[in-house]
Amino acid sequence: MALTKIPSVLYFGLETLPVDVEVNVASRGLPGFEIVGLPGKAIAESRERVKAAIVNSGMEFPSRKITVNLAPADIPKEGSFYDLPVAIGILSATTDFPIPEKSLFFGELSFDGTLRHTKGAFLLALFAKEFGFKNIFLPKDSVNEATIFPSINIYPVERLSQLLAHLFNRQKIVKAKRREIDDLGLGSSEFDMREVLGQEQAKRAMEIAAAGGHNAIMIGSPGSGKTMLARALPSILPPLSDQESLEATKIYSASGNIPPGASMIKIRSFRSPHHSTSLAGLIGGGTNPQPGEISLAHRGVLFLDEFNEFPRSVLESLRQPLEDGVVNISRAKASIKYPARFMLIASANPCPCGYLGHPKKECTCTPREIKKYVKKISGPILDRIDLHIKVPIVDVDELSQNKRTAKFLESSESIRKRVCQAREIQQKRFQSKAICSNAEMRNKDIKRYCSLSKEVEKILNQAAISFNLSARSYFKMIKIARTIADLEGFAEINPAHMAEALQYRQ
Amino acid sequence: MSNIIYIDDEKYPKLLKQIGKEAPKQLYFKTNTLKTNIFDNCLTVVGSRKLTSYGKQAMEELVGKIALAGITIVSGFMYGGDAVAHQAAIKAGGRTIAVMPCGIDRISPEYQKELYQEILDNNGLIMSEYKGNMAPTLWTYPQRNRIAAGLSKALLVVEAGKKSGCLITANYAKKFKRKVFAVPGPITSSITKGSNALIREGAEMVLSAKDVLKYYRSDLALRKTNFFESLSPSQQAGEHAQTSRFKNLPSKLRALNKNPKNIEEQIIDLLKREPLGADELSRQLEMPVSELGVKLSILEMHEIIKLRGNKYGIN
Repeated sequence: MALTKIPSVLYFGLETLPVDVEVNVASRGLPGFEIVGLPGKAIAESRERVKAAIVNSGMEFPSRKITVNLAPADIPKEGSFYDLPVAIGILSATTDFPIPEKSLFFGELSFDGTLRHTKGAFLLALFAKEFGFKNIFLPKDSVNEATIFPSINIYPVERLSQLLAHLFNRQKIVKAKRREIDDLGLGSSEFDMREVLGQEQAKRAMEIAAAGGHNAIMIGSPGSGKTMLARALPSILPPLSDQESLEATKIYSASGNIPPGASMIKIRSFRSPHHSTSLAGLIGGGTNPQPGEISLAHRGVLFLDEFNEFPRSVLESLRQPLEDGVVNISRAKASIKYPARFMLIASANPCPCGYLGHPKKECTCTPREIKKYVKKISGPILDRIDLHIKVPIVDVDELSQNKRTAKFLESSESIRKRVCQAREIQQKRFQSKAICSNAEMRNKDIKRYCSLSKEVEKILNQAAISFNLSARSYFKMIKIARTIADLEGFAEINPAHMAEALQYRQ
Repeated sequence: MSNIIYIDDEKYPKLLKQIGKEAPKQLYFKTNTLKTNIFDNCLTVVGSRKLTSYGKQAMEELVGKIALAGITIVSGFMYGGDAVAHQAAIKAGGRTIAVMPCGIDRISPEYQKELYQEILDNNGLIMSEYKGNMAPTLWTYPQRNRIAAGLSKALLVVEAGKKSGCLITANYAKKFKRKVFAVPGPITSSITKGSNALIREGAEMVLSAKDVLKYYRSDLALRKTNFFESLSPSQQAGEHAQTSRFKNLPSKLRALNKNPKNIEEQIIDLLKREPLGADELSRQLEMPVSELGVKLSILEMHEIIKLRGNKYGIN
């Protein structure tokens, strides 16, 4: 048989489309090897890899005219995973072994015939499920990513020759078993909240942020511990729910961020891009739009240290994703939608020199400089940040000697327990809704889920007058109060919850 | 409306004329309502450009009460101490004079436009010895200080560093034989080194607005204007405001409070001693910050305490 057809897949952002890999080995014509169907650079170079891998696996590479077509021919294709289907197609055309029904071949070949970890295995498994495929042959290192559905047979392939032995029925490859997902890395954050001395209020704010998925900004002088607080945040975050884990893994799989051998993402991601990050790097972009930091932080934390130092255009681009939880990236070649529901944790200095309000050092900035500095963050962005936290300088020597303070040092584990309980309450509350946390509530959800007693409303209205709260701040306060009530396990928001929420106003 | 007064004019401020050769030949001014009695009882107030929260608090309190007593507050329209002095005077319903370091048609620093307008709208006066749109230069600032010192019979220094414009003004005041008042500050702070040194050199220490007003009293008595009696009720009110406002706290607040010792009172006691941040308060009261936050929000809402920078203080 000179023509074989192997089903494969095409990635389009997080979406998948079926593709046919058609391999024609002609009996006439000058020897050659061509791939058509708008292949990307990685696919065009696949010819060399396939040729070398076949030869180095002890097989003969046919010296005939080989043409590979990736159909449909008018959609551009990217990725190195077509190596395996192309190689199988060529060998099947020349040596005439049967290709098993409803099977997918996936993986990048090495010159010596071994298969390398290839990105996108998780999406492939979802695709296989959707289109009713039965078997997937893929690199051993990528297997854990794909073993999510028991109905699909996953075959871990180490080298090309091993796969051929399996197809010729000489030696079968053992199917991969579904691995129990281990709680890898849970609680193994850089810092424990116990290590952060002082900063009681900031820590409480972190707890509220973690519990309700609220965005927060920390303002304080250099050395006050903003970065440390943010880095300790993952230690009090609740684990991802199954649905959230699925969403996050999709993005990580598509962008090749799942390390070899790893399975689904179970812990919330913590991304902290440097302030020199470009707009495309943060939001996503490229000719073939790739997910940016905000999508990689989906259902996790996006920590922007030195918030004021980010270019204004980059910060402003956060507005729409902060509101909608998705980002649409349109380029000449494609327009792709990536989810981006993240918790924004920002940190900033109070002034350009950083020492405004410092107990010992003198601030050398003029009011004009400070005004200009503060203005770098626009109102619409600050409006979308629920918790505003002031982080004062802490005298660490004094605190570490003070025994009384030890009483207040709570470990991340016990904070996390409260956070998880609060999240459970929220999950129940929003069961019928597309949202998961208090922070995602729109105004109409607030009206529905946060009924305020007369007493609470009175406090809030009075605060609106004495603190000059804007309409948006007004609703932010209700959201925060809701989270505080959830942390304490109250069904109703009571006056104390509202009063505490007011501490974190803009 | 812009105007000129020449040195031999009748309207020319008398005190300023007394400084002799250094008195400016002409003064340009802007005002909405010219009343020459604005020069009668002036106090020049200066403070550092980088006023600390303590300095700001002290200045607001002193200037507010002094301006309320009918004394015109003179200052130099610089940001920081000068701006706070002008604002405090306006807030108290008093009059204020801004002596500019630049041409009369220029607002410098220009981002204080709002303050400029407020001064004019509140029967204040903008004044300069330079005409037109002249930009301020290094040497016009000390020259401006000379006029500011000359206009008043006394000078109040709130916070001044070791080598500061405030000390230049103080030196002029001494030269013109004006009374110098200074607010004491912590000896550890670099920003009060100059003002503390003034006290050591003989400036009168100011512990309350009364100390300054006493000096003006003899003069006021001559005019048979009983400023002090009209002042005392409001002053008394000021002193007792905290306790009376506290008594007026809604009863539900008391119900919220399970501790018989009354946390709110403890917070107020601590803050009366020195301004503290929420973290420090929580440590000193041995109270979780979540509970403390509730009290702080409510006390702040009733304007009993106020957040200044990172710290709470008594309002």
